[in-house]
Amino acid sequence: MNASPVIAVTGLHRGENPQPGSAVIRSLRRVYPELRIIGLVYDSLESGLFSEEDAPDAAFTMSYPGAGVEAFWQRLDEIREIERFDVLIPCLDAEMAPLVDTPEKLRERGILACLPTAASFKCRDKSKLADLCERTHCRTPQTLAVSDVGSLHQAAASLGGNVFVKGRFYEARHAITPAAREAAYWHMLEQWGAPVLVQENVQGEEYNVVGLGDGRGRMLGSCSIRKMLRTASGKGFGGMIVRDPQLDAIAESLIVELRWNGPFELEFVKSEGPKGEYCLIEINPRFPAWCDFPSSLDCNLPAAALELALGWQPREPLRRASPGKFFIRHAIDMTGDLCDLAALTTLGQFFRQPREFIPHPATSRGL
Amino acid sequence: MKLASLSTSARHSSQPQDLTPGAGPAAFHFHTVTWQADGFGFDATSGEFFTASPAALIVMQALGEGMARSQILDRLTARFEVTRSTAERDLESFLAELVHIGLTPESN
Repeated sequence: MNASPVIAVTGLHRGENPQPGSAVIRSLRRVYPELRIIGLVYDSLESGLFSEEDAPDAAFTMSYPGAGVEAFWQRLDEIREIERFDVLIPCLDAEMAPLVDTPEKLRERGILACLPTAASFKCRDKSKLADLCERTHCRTPQTLAVSDVGSLHQAAASLGGNVFVKGRFYEARHAITPAAREAAYWHMLEQWGAPVLVQENVQGEEYNVVGLGDGRGRMLGSCSIRKMLRTASGKGFGGMIVRDPQLDAIAESLIVELRWNGPFELEFVKSEGPKGEYCLIEINPRFPAWCDFPSSLDCNLPAAALELALGWQPREPLRRASPGKFFIRHAIDMTGDLCDLAALTTLGQFFRQPREFIPHPATSRGL
Repeated sequence: MKLASLSTSARHSSQPQDLTPGAGPAAFHFHTVTWQADGFGFDATSGEFFTASPAALIVMQALGEGMARSQILDRLTARFEVTRSTAERDLESFLAELVHIGLTPESN
């Protein structure tokens, strides 16, 4: 391991559907400003590369998930020949399965990560959510997995016609008509592969919980929000912190049942009306794009995840963010330089801060 | 943002001090919502926020104090230019609205 750990983070694009990587980097730098962070990207135009505040010190292009698992590990090895990173924080759903399924490949390379076991990872799969919710007495919309158009329409009809068509990893489209369902089905199949999920539409307010599990059934910290603003694709663009003991209890029971290790995001809809119940929509096995918001309120979950991965004692207990604080996302334009773009496109790498120029003065954590 | 309204107009001549933002009742809790004197309410459990008219604030504060409906009507007719029958109609409508938006259980 490097004297000062080098961290690799993925998912740096904060576009219309923002990925979490840049928020993770910002959170880590709140606590460890001198930390060397490298970005692993799938596109040379991932916006986080060009940010003044959230950019990694260096970036490397990765092979696309479609290229297969072997290509993924091979590229990781090539990158580590140049930048021997010590900790990997994956921020994209599609990357999780190969990492979770073969943790020994990380171990034999000496790469530390804060990941769930394969068993708990599979239990939170969208197609298995009903079983998990039955065991934890949590409500969840009825969801059916389909792999052909005939079963798509059959599933939609059995759920009342007004449904969400969802990709295996990402995306959901509200579809009422057969034509809309079919268009959404083919889109999801092309983007994320089979199966495609058809989910009952529960109307109500959306609530999300971000947290960090210790792998033994305990939550090291969490923060719950109500989505205040949503984009056309349903992504949260603003959120208000809430504190509801009922929501906390549901989140805790899920994490206890899964014995979840690492970051997670629970997505709920609370059905309308005074007796509305929380309905679990999905569990994301990574930080959400809004994870830096609680960090700004002394609930720095990415920093705690890093400490957990490194086996460090937590700096201090994570605070519970107070209800009434909210975030609103703000899109800005950033300036890039053709040199960086060229380096990343032709060589697959670029360095904002060359390794040899990065000092690692001792900080409170000895970085 | 939801609206907890009560359409009763203020009795400006008699007791205007009760209706001025900041000069009325201090922040108070009504069920899960914390109401500010300026009529802004926040529910920390649901994350929802509301606005309420000065009359609505008076009603919710009175309900919180456990006042009977007749006492609430006394308070409303004393503070606003409204007949008792109109106040009674508005109060019933407002109580139904409170139930509808989930700010009070049906038993109230």
